[in-house]
Amino acid sequence: MSQAFDIVLLLLLITCAIAVIHTKDLLAAAIIFSTYSLVMCVIWQLRGAPDVAMTEAAVGAGVTTVLFLVAISRTARREK
Amino acid sequence: MKKALVAALLILAAIPLLLAVSELPPHGSASNATYTHVSAYYLEHGAEEAGAENIITDVILNYRGFDTNGEVTVIFTALAAVLAVLLLGDASTATEDKPSHSVSVVVSFIVRLLAPFIAMFAVYVIINGHISPGGGFQGGTILGALAIVLTLVLGEDEARRLLPERPKPWLQAAAPLTFIGIGLAGLTDTGFYLGFPTAEALSWIRTMWLLAIEIGIGVGGAAIIASIFWTMEAER
Repeated sequence: MSQAFDIVLLLLLITCAIAVIHTKDLLAAAIIFSTYSLVMCVIWQLRGAPDVAMTEAAVGAGVTTVLFLVAISRTARREK
Repeated sequence: MKKALVAALLILAAIPLLLAVSELPPHGSASNATYTHVSAYYLEHGAEEAGAENIITDVILNYRGFDTNGEVTVIFTALAAVLAVLLLGDASTATEDKPSHSVSVVVSFIVRLLAPFIAMFAVYVIINGHISPGGGFQGGTILGALAIVLTLVLGEDEARRLLPERPKPWLQAAAPLTFIGIGLAGLTDTGFYLGFPTAEALSWIRTMWLLAIEIGIGVGGAAIIASIFWTMEAER
């Protein structure tokens, strides 16, 4: 059961990583990247690293996403 | 042709990597070198030797204090770089056009309601870092995120007052400064930079020093995250 969940999470992680590369819409890419961080956070927690999971959730899913959004709002939304 | 060349190069690079991976000891096996030497020592002696019940904090702030000292300096350098790049030339354009903030009533109410609890949680994470998972980095990030969300709701001028002008540079540099302070205290006490007192009876001093570093990292991290956001958000 736990292994099946791991595999689902890792597949989700790989899907997110590939989707980030292929999206031309930078806003969507930023959101997908924050999903990646969130999945990664769950994996850290399952692997028994709550400290890293907290950092990943706060920095990866929270602050960097906001900084990406600010950067996008100051430049262009679509990749050329 | 080009694609074939790229594929060939990738395969060529992958072969030694995969060979190296196959040489690694099996994942999770108890006889791995990583579990038998340093880790085992930390787990056995960390709690009483380094001053914190949370072994992660022991490793990050005491056993590997040098690494974290450098890391904290890197984060401060990131802020300095952002300020240098974004404020280059136009230091006075920040006050020209203020976009009127129109935030949904629901969002505004929820954020105002939750703000004190988020702040409380951040402080809890920071000062409990030596007992439970968490610590300066995590708590500081939560505080910084709180500053960001308050900026979105209250508008920039109101939120910027969270970080008063005069002590601002000191707060932004709080993490490296605290680390250097504790490092020098260790230097005078034991003769080693970041040398924590080792005597059995001085365990409370070790804990206090860890706590001081945690608070320094928390305050500094929050100030840095909020400042980066405000600098990026200003003058659009």
